[in-house]
Amino acid sequence: METWLIILPILLPWLGAVVVWALQERAPRLQHALAVAFALGGGAAAIALLPHAGDEALVRVPLGTVFGDFTLVPDGLGLFLTIIATVVGGLAVVFSGEYMRGEAQLARYYALVLFFIGAMAGLVLSGGFLMLFLFWEITAFCSYALISFYNDDPKAVSAGVKALIMTQFGGVGLMVLALVAYGYLGSYDINTFIAQAHTLPAGLLGAVAFASLAAAAAKSAQVPFQTWLPDAMEAPTPISALIHAATMVNAGVYLLARLYPAFAEVPGWTAAVVTVGLLSALLAAIMALVATDLKRVLAYSTVSQLGYMVYAVGVGGVFASQLHLLSHSVFKALLFLSAGAIIHAVGTRDMRQMGGLGRKMPIVRAVFVIGALALVGLPPANGFFSKELVLEEGLAHGPAWAYAGMLLGAGLTALYTIRMVAMVFHGESRVTKHVHDALPLMSAPLGLLALGTLTTWLLAGPFSGLLARTLPFHTLEETTTWHLVEEIFTAPATWLALLVIAVGLALWFLRARLDGLRQALQPLSGLAANSFGFEALNRQISHGVRGAAGALSRTQTGQLNWNVAAIVGALALVLAILVWRAG
Amino acid sequence: MELTPLFWLIALPLAATPLVYLGGHLARLVASGADRRGEYARIVALAVLLACWLPFALAAQALTRGETFTLAWGQLSLRLDGVGLLLAAVSLALGTLVVLYSGPYLTGERGQEKFYAMVVAMVGVMIGLGCATDLFNLWLWFEAMAVTSYLLVAFYREQAASLEAGVKYLVQSAVGSIFVLLGIGLVLANTGSVELQQVREAVVAGGALAPWTLAAGALFLIGFGVKVALVPLHTWLPDAHSQAPSGISAMLSGVVIEAGLVALLRALGPLVAVAGSAETWGILLAAFGAANMLIGNLMALRQKQVKRMLAYSSLVHMGYMLTGVAVALLAGEAAGAAGGLFHLLVHGLMKGLAFLAAGALLYVLHISLGDHHPLTIDDLAGAARRYPLPALALSIALLSLGGLPPLAGFMSKLQIFVAGIQAHNGWIAGLVIFAGLNSVLSLAYYAPVINAMYRQQPADIVAAGRPVPLAMNLSLAVLALPVVAIGFWPALTSWLTEPAGAALLAVFGG
Repeated sequence: METWLIILPILLPWLGAVVVWALQERAPRLQHALAVAFALGGGAAAIALLPHAGDEALVRVPLGTVFGDFTLVPDGLGLFLTIIATVVGGLAVVFSGEYMRGEAQLARYYALVLFFIGAMAGLVLSGGFLMLFLFWEITAFCSYALISFYNDDPKAVSAGVKALIMTQFGGVGLMVLALVAYGYLGSYDINTFIAQAHTLPAGLLGAVAFASLAAAAAKSAQVPFQTWLPDAMEAPTPISALIHAATMVNAGVYLLARLYPAFAEVPGWTAAVVTVGLLSALLAAIMALVATDLKRVLAYSTVSQLGYMVYAVGVGGVFASQLHLLSHSVFKALLFLSAGAIIHAVGTRDMRQMGGLGRKMPIVRAVFVIGALALVGLPPANGFFSKELVLEEGLAHGPAWAYAGMLLGAGLTALYTIRMVAMVFHGESRVTKHVHDALPLMSAPLGLLALGTLTTWLLAGPFSGLLARTLPFHTLEETTTWHLVEEIFTAPATWLALLVIAVGLALWFLRARLDGLRQALQPLSGLAANSFGFEALNRQISHGVRGAAGALSRTQTGQLNWNVAAIVGALALVLAILVWRAG
Repeated sequence: MELTPLFWLIALPLAATPLVYLGGHLARLVASGADRRGEYARIVALAVLLACWLPFALAAQALTRGETFTLAWGQLSLRLDGVGLLLAAVSLALGTLVVLYSGPYLTGERGQEKFYAMVVAMVGVMIGLGCATDLFNLWLWFEAMAVTSYLLVAFYREQAASLEAGVKYLVQSAVGSIFVLLGIGLVLANTGSVELQQVREAVVAGGALAPWTLAAGALFLIGFGVKVALVPLHTWLPDAHSQAPSGISAMLSGVVIEAGLVALLRALGPLVAVAGSAETWGILLAAFGAANMLIGNLMALRQKQVKRMLAYSSLVHMGYMLTGVAVALLAGEAAGAAGGLFHLLVHGLMKGLAFLAAGALLYVLHISLGDHHPLTIDDLAGAARRYPLPALALSIALLSLGGLPPLAGFMSKLQIFVAGIQAHNGWIAGLVIFAGLNSVLSLAYYAPVINAMYRQQPADIVAAGRPVPLAMNLSLAVLALPVVAIGFWPALTSWLTEPAGAALLAVFGG
């Protein structure tokens, strides 16, 4: 029974993908209903698995030769992320019923979404590195295929390919980790690796620790790999909510959190993790301040919030990072889906062409503001509790400079969030089109996610127990929600953070009087608009490779005499090498 | 000479070759038109190749039981080992499907009976090549394979580009062939034998590293290397593989260059037996592997023609195979040898699928309308809606070539990488990472092709295209199946690849 329960979150969505694909373009409504059913079916199985959390591997299939065992392990971390993937996935699919209505090639859309949901569940439930890597790559493929869903748009295509190449580049790091685990310890098993990591040669352990950090940074869109995520906003909005906010981008944080006990002692590793998180949180927040595309603002804020989670892992706050991950998945999915409702109604993503939408879209505004509260980190939204916990961990166990930076980030978050809310919902309307509020298939998921945003913090206590009980190598303490809340409200760090947030919010209202400050920061905003040079770096690399390819194509002369000369030359070269090595 | 399965496996296609040709010609008596004649030849060819699967199955069964077949005829002997069986499997599989596929593809062409006769001959010759036990016969089979493929590359004899490709292929192969002959001469002069086992014994008995072994090895490496398409000896390949009829492109990329690799390794095997020289040869193979991966990728990156891009990608995948073999040589890792040969098998399947799928689209968009323009990536815009199966098949093939799971290409590359890391050597680990990064690079040219096919707006040429014939769709489906299945269950073919890996180590004297 449990065996089936753990396979179903992968199998059901995948089965659904095949069924939906087989229907092709014949029955869009049935396709939608089936997609919802298969996704939520996977979610139901994942929730039903909760009582089995902490069991040994429920599935173990030897794959033969060098491929090790295929294992699925229901520990708290994996189970929790499976539930997020399937439930948020299900809601995103429900939302798609309205958002994607009338689009062509829905078979491909739903099949890829379901394929993704199953792969994401597989990624976090896998007990071995090889299968983790395999599912990691499948999610990257789905992400690529869905970012470039509108293949006729060259921007969408290049964004998809960019996301694929950048995450795969990082993925090589994860592959190295898997290979080292098998090549040196004889098993792909993750827990075996954590238990025996200290037996590896120190240099090798350091290399794989940093390789894993690179893999995580690429997947979670952290500096210096963050550039693919804003471009990925070419995807249909439910995809941005599901893959690029709530699930896949968390995989990097998941990897770091899971492997923290193995790498914490590696010299410089935690400092590097903290630095990556800090830079991502700050730089992305600044970029969010100057962006005018609603989805790009949200994308930058995702990079920034993921930075908080990475930072939390770096200072040893694994539970804080996972709690923030939970909050963020819910509230960012809410924000993205609300943005989808807005874009669906208005027909543009440019915030400068919005304004005054609050009156026309009261439902959307209500839920968006709830999401915004969480993003800023104000009670009673879930983001408040988790962010405060992250900052508290940072103050207690991390370097002071990093804490100061993250505090500054909280203020910037407040500023860009209120700017976004104001530009979209308030002020003079610049919308010419007739605007409708969220339609039923949209409001249902929005309402549920808003409810979640207000309440998931209540799960903090049980969640800490789940993690503490089922993760054998992490030192986590079980606590109660009440105790956590009490701790947060009595900590001075909380009040300091709230003060900084208040300053951030005040800056927006005082912006007319702060013209001097804005003028002074003009160069910084220019830098931010150019993504601090990271885009230029990407372009240069791509340009360099293509240039090399172009130069090389001249060697294919088509002249037979040159071809033969190359053969004879190669013989001479090989002989020379042989003589040199023999002598 | 006993009539063992091995005998039938080689004799059946070779003996049937004239029958296929004559069958096509005699059909003139009962039917008129090139197509009817071609159809007769095709049916005979298909029947013969299907019949070959029976001795193959018997031989495979016996081999897994540990029996080996030797076919002796006076001085001459052929022996079927794991490597030979693997080569036989790939060439038979591709040969059968290509004959099935090519019926509609060649409609209206002259000389179809020659085409089918040559395909059948090529399959038989490659099976023989995999079983050769002495250098002279190895060379003979190798040349016979080349002769059959020259005719097939230049099949469109009225097309200038096709003839040019044929001439380049012929001349460069001839240069390589001379080198091989010189190498054989050196071996014979120094050991008095061309029989591989005796050569090995003589080399080992010689003790210290003799200069002639280095010279002969270099001649073999470069001579066979032309056919293997080692960079920079590869310059004939993009023309030959893209100008040939698509079924032949599939065979050339999927098994002919790999047969060249088998020939190279067999010839090199005895010469690496001297203590310490395995490392030198391993480094050389690894260097060629690295060059093939990088140069192949860069050359493919800016290709607009689909078949030419696929041809360059064959260079890359030969690089992966060489990496596996190099790991086997450098570290004695059986997993490296098995991984390299696993990749040989998988590459045959996925590259065969890629060429057949691209060929099906080339056929419906260009050839069936009477034009011989190459298929470009822009031609494929929106192809998936009108041609769902070929588009899906090409996507699967490309993703597998790019090493994405859950497809076969991921698994075979992975086995090579595992072997590399198991060697516990920094340089080899570096090579593995280099190979992994090259896989990422390759996505930069595979992915846009898929994006183009799944566009909504069809290119004009797609709107005007013909329907895909059933035989083509059928061969695509049959070939796509294992590419997916091996991705889910990598041990599915380990009955073929593991003995092949062990046999390859034996070739190196391991």
